[in-house]
Amino acid sequence: MTRRMLIATLALIGLYVAMYLWLYKLGIIGSLSCKIGSCEKVNTSPWAVLFGVPVAFWGVLYYVGLFASACLCTVDRFAADRRAALLLAVLTGWGVLFSGWLTWLELAVIHAVCMYCVISAILVVVMFALSVAEVRATRSVGQNTSE
Amino acid sequence: MASANKNASKKQFTFVLAAIAVVGAAALGYVAMRPAAGGEAIDPNMPLGTAQGFLMGSPDAPVKIVEFADFECPGCAQFAMLTEPDVRARLVKTGIVSMQFYVFPLPMHKNTWSASNAAYCAHEQGKFWEMHDRLFYTQDLWNSLATSNPDKKMKGYAADIALDAGKFEECYDSKRNYPNIKASGAEAEKLLIDQTPSIIIGGKKYSEGINYDMIKKHVDEELARLAKTEPAKKGAK
Repeated sequence: MTRRMLIATLALIGLYVAMYLWLYKLGIIGSLSCKIGSCEKVNTSPWAVLFGVPVAFWGVLYYVGLFASACLCTVDRFAADRRAALLLAVLTGWGVLFSGWLTWLELAVIHAVCMYCVISAILVVVMFALSVAEVRATRSVGQNTSE
Repeated sequence: MASANKNASKKQFTFVLAAIAVVGAAALGYVAMRPAAGGEAIDPNMPLGTAQGFLMGSPDAPVKIVEFADFECPGCAQFAMLTEPDVRARLVKTGIVSMQFYVFPLPMHKNTWSASNAAYCAHEQGKFWEMHDRLFYTQDLWNSLATSNPDKKMKGYAADIALDAGKFEECYDSKRNYPNIKASGAEAEKLLIDQTPSIIIGGKKYSEGINYDMIKKHVDEELARLAKTEPAKKGAK
């Protein structure tokens, strides 16, 4: 599998994690299954809502967008397109910043850590690393082509 | 050769995505449909009863602590097990503080109404706090992850704390306290409580990082404030 395919795969996993938390916020699944950390404390805190909408829902939107973009970037037509790699780097970079802010809130403000938020943070960091590698790879392809 | 590799890679990618999609959808479907997630349907048109706080300590204690908590919230159980014993021993028993507990049932907790009902019925026999402790200390045995029907557990806890079984069951099955539980939740919403547990000390609301040291600090501040205002009041008389 290519790096872009790996990003799409990880984005799909992230989508399910976000959907699980969103279903919890909708009151559909009862208590959260949380073996590590204090998922409910984090997800019932005022910080679990952003602009009147649960953060989990923003997560679902984010992962849907990222998954769709990553799938599109695997199409042959965009395979060597540096702009596609840059798009993924920007999207995953945004995810890293947002996850970093959420992690800071968990540690410094809420004083509790949610296992699912940690999983999501790890996913975006790995996807960002893959995206950066992809940008570098497409740059060298571009350089080789121009030479 | 490169084209064959590319095709194999695409096939592998499609297979992995399909596998994750199926497993993920099945897992989400399971947690949404499992019996334990069903819980009890609460009538949204139920009338409002009376919001009641359950008191511990002397009503004349200089500092009043009001707590809003949900019996199924893990953070509330943590507070009850780790922080509250110190508060009771050092502040309530010494007469400095009184604690008043209001239930605040959150919509995502399917068994919290049953637990609140059990606590209200225990109160009718003067044992609210015994049931309060029993519920929090055994939360993982009756919460909506553990069971969709906590009634048997609640009745078992009533026996554990030596309640009159007949009276308890009559109260519990009648659900006559549900309007009061709803009123207690409405009181929390009126006070803009958006997190459990939340506590109010001297009119100020706290929900982040609640531990004994933090409570003691705010109780001391409230005592200092009262010491300043009380002589002034006495002087005015």
